[in-house]
Amino acid sequence: MNLKNFTSQKQLKTDPLAEASNSELPPKAPVLSPAEWLKANLFSNTFNSVLTILSTAAILLIIRGLLSFIFNPLRQWSATATNMRLLMTQAYPEHQYARIWVSLGFLLFLTGVSLAFWRAGRSVLLSQVGKRLLAIGSFIVLVTLLAPFSSEATIIWLIVGVFIAGTGFLLKSSREDKTTSSMTLLSGAFLLAILSLWVIPYGHHSYISTRTPKILAEPGTVAMTTKLPWTIMLVVAICSYFLGSLIRDKIDEAKGKALLSTTWLISPLFLLFLVLRDPDFDTGHLFSTDIPIFLFFSIVGSVILLWLTNPDIGEKGRVISTAILFVGFATFLFQMLMIVRILTLVLAFFALAAPTFSGQKPARIRYTKVWIGTMVILCWLITAINTPSTAKVPGDFFIGGFAITLMIFFFTMVLAFPLGVLLALARTSKFPIFRMVSTTFIEFIRGVPLITILIFFSVMVPLFLPDGMDLTEIAAVTIAFIIFEAAYLAENVRGGLQSVTRGQHEAAEAVGMTNAQKTFFIVLPQALRVAIPPMVGQIIATFKETGLLAIIGIFDFLYIARSVIPGQTEFMGSTRENLLFVSLVYLVICFSMSKASQRVEKRVGLGER
Amino acid sequence: MTDNETTSSIRGERDLANAQDIIVCEGVSKWFGDFQALNNVSATIKEQEVVVVLGPSGSGKSTWIRCINRLEQHQEGRIMVDGVELSNDLRNIEKVRSEVGMVFQMFNLFPHLTVRDNVSLAPIWVRKKPRAEAEEQAASLLERVGIPEQADKFPGQLSGGQQQRVAIARALAMEPKIMLFDEPTSALDPEMIKEVLDVMKELALSGMTMMVVTHEMGFAKEVADKIMFMEGGQIVEIGTPDHFFTNPTEERTKLFLSQIL
Repeated sequence: MNLKNFTSQKQLKTDPLAEASNSELPPKAPVLSPAEWLKANLFSNTFNSVLTILSTAAILLIIRGLLSFIFNPLRQWSATATNMRLLMTQAYPEHQYARIWVSLGFLLFLTGVSLAFWRAGRSVLLSQVGKRLLAIGSFIVLVTLLAPFSSEATIIWLIVGVFIAGTGFLLKSSREDKTTSSMTLLSGAFLLAILSLWVIPYGHHSYISTRTPKILAEPGTVAMTTKLPWTIMLVVAICSYFLGSLIRDKIDEAKGKALLSTTWLISPLFLLFLVLRDPDFDTGHLFSTDIPIFLFFSIVGSVILLWLTNPDIGEKGRVISTAILFVGFATFLFQMLMIVRILTLVLAFFALAAPTFSGQKPARIRYTKVWIGTMVILCWLITAINTPSTAKVPGDFFIGGFAITLMIFFFTMVLAFPLGVLLALARTSKFPIFRMVSTTFIEFIRGVPLITILIFFSVMVPLFLPDGMDLTEIAAVTIAFIIFEAAYLAENVRGGLQSVTRGQHEAAEAVGMTNAQKTFFIVLPQALRVAIPPMVGQIIATFKETGLLAIIGIFDFLYIARSVIPGQTEFMGSTRENLLFVSLVYLVICFSMSKASQRVEKRVGLGER
Repeated sequence: MTDNETTSSIRGERDLANAQDIIVCEGVSKWFGDFQALNNVSATIKEQEVVVVLGPSGSGKSTWIRCINRLEQHQEGRIMVDGVELSNDLRNIEKVRSEVGMVFQMFNLFPHLTVRDNVSLAPIWVRKKPRAEAEEQAASLLERVGIPEQADKFPGQLSGGQQQRVAIARALAMEPKIMLFDEPTSALDPEMIKEVLDVMKELALSGMTMMVVTHEMGFAKEVADKIMFMEGGQIVEIGTPDHFFTNPTEERTKLFLSQIL
């Protein structure tokens, strides 16, 4: 608690004497000079000095070893570079590639506008930037000295390193109050990286003396199909940021943010269609069966829910919602489409929860909107499962590589999270039947290896499906992942639920909240906040577990690097290079997720202690 | 401390003799395992009455007050609050809880919500008030407890006394008929106790029915209409402050007073 701090601050404000003494700045903590810092931290006694010297030597040796591996003339880095498209999307047809670029451009556009709307980025002291640049420059110099470059390359890279370090040094000694926006720095870095595609001959290994590289593209350049789209992406990103800051001041900010969040939520669904379906995709089934059913449920459900959320409805409402629940279960006794059964049950769930969220007109309309949103998303999901892809590719599935890794990861997280929360709530519920079902489910899933579940879903489940229901392999596998991750997430959330004190429950009960209201408004927000670190751990683990897709014959990112590329005749034996590249990609993504979670933690921790 | 005379004169204006009974306890008993926390507690509290419950620690005062809005369940006897009997019927419990405000020793504010949301959350979702109206009410309640400028802060950024005042505002936002205070000043630093007691006094003067478990004898003397002394899960003595502090009848009350005064 910083209560004490706070009171002292308050006293400072009110007490004139304290104010007077406050005008004199307190003495700053003494700053150590670099030499003093070294002495205090690394060479404070004999033992520490020995340790410092030994570990420095070890680190230098490791870096040296890694560099000699990377820059060895025997390495076939062109294997990775040439097969980048295979690694990213497997056999996605090349003439359809514009669709992938459009998807990426759309995401960048959304990112740019959102960054502007949420005023992301903070002002950074130029002297801090200088320190960073100095460190980066020195690191480049160190690497250059350690790496087995040709003398010409050594000189070039030394100049580059010294130039960066020198710029950093100049900035470092700039005035205290000079700042720049971190967004400017970010777009600057992005700009430099992309401009360098046009200037620097990547793939032309000029820094290694004795090597004639095997390069499929025009030697010494980056292919036009790479650098042109990326340049367009850069323009899109920067323009959308400026567009965002322009619109931000013109329209209601809260509404704009709501619109953006909705677009973010819907965009993956929309983008998947963009990547998946040809323009000549047969929409007959969609318009004749699925959409009418969903439309019917949206309209009828909205009417029922608008009526049920009336606070004065009383006992009648409970009777009606229970009746809908019974109808939902009764549908399983008769022959009808599976969607109808599922939707009736979902409607019953919404109807039962209606009294909790009832209220005045805005609350009722909001609840109805949630219902319609749920319908839209379910409609999309079921359509995606029921209709095959029309992108014509060799092999079983329309896309592979990094794209499939990302896709399965994304859908697993989005759907496993709510399921995990529900399971955790059921496991801590007062009702023994919920507790029992949830505990059995969680313990069973956690007791079975993921591989088993994957194989079960890809081989066995399609055999048991009712007639007329078609589950593509990728949908089956995604469901397997969702079930597996939900069980683990549930345990993380349960840990969070237990951390909410009894006092919080009592306070919520004392103001007359129902159990559902207490859970939704008081317990869950606090529990999820506590559960962020373990949940992020689980999310990162999920991302890496997608590597298991190879076992059931899906060409995922890792599998292509491990088995497909080294099988090509011109790149025989390039496994190590590809694996190193793949690990780098995994590392960057996992590290950024972990960093992002630290930020979220800081943000939601606002006001606590 | 405010002037004793004005308080008593305002207190005198209330016609307690003809007031309705609002809390009725008949033979309430409760056990925690083998330990009997409440032993045949019977008492009646009238509308607009301010009752202070005193007693040594472990005497069952907190348990009793928590039984009245069913945070604890009594096992024998009857508790009627504003004509509704507390039983296992969930709807009765929710009804009673929305009529009875409670202030806790440890404040129990919702740490993830701002002060304004802490106060307006229950009116919006339990009383189904429009948000704008609830927030307006929250602002006026914060004004009433003397911290209108803290509305956008989080509870963790406030001092203990301010947190407790927010907790009182949160309870008042439900427009309760009865307020229960469970040792509201025990977790506070001495210099913050007064600001909370002042709010409670103002509330008592406005005619709220209050039941207060406290160790603040000054407050009891000044504001209470009735003092109940508990020991060992039983009510030992009930009387006016004058009677209680100057001329108690029971030996155990005398012993207690000699220890604390």
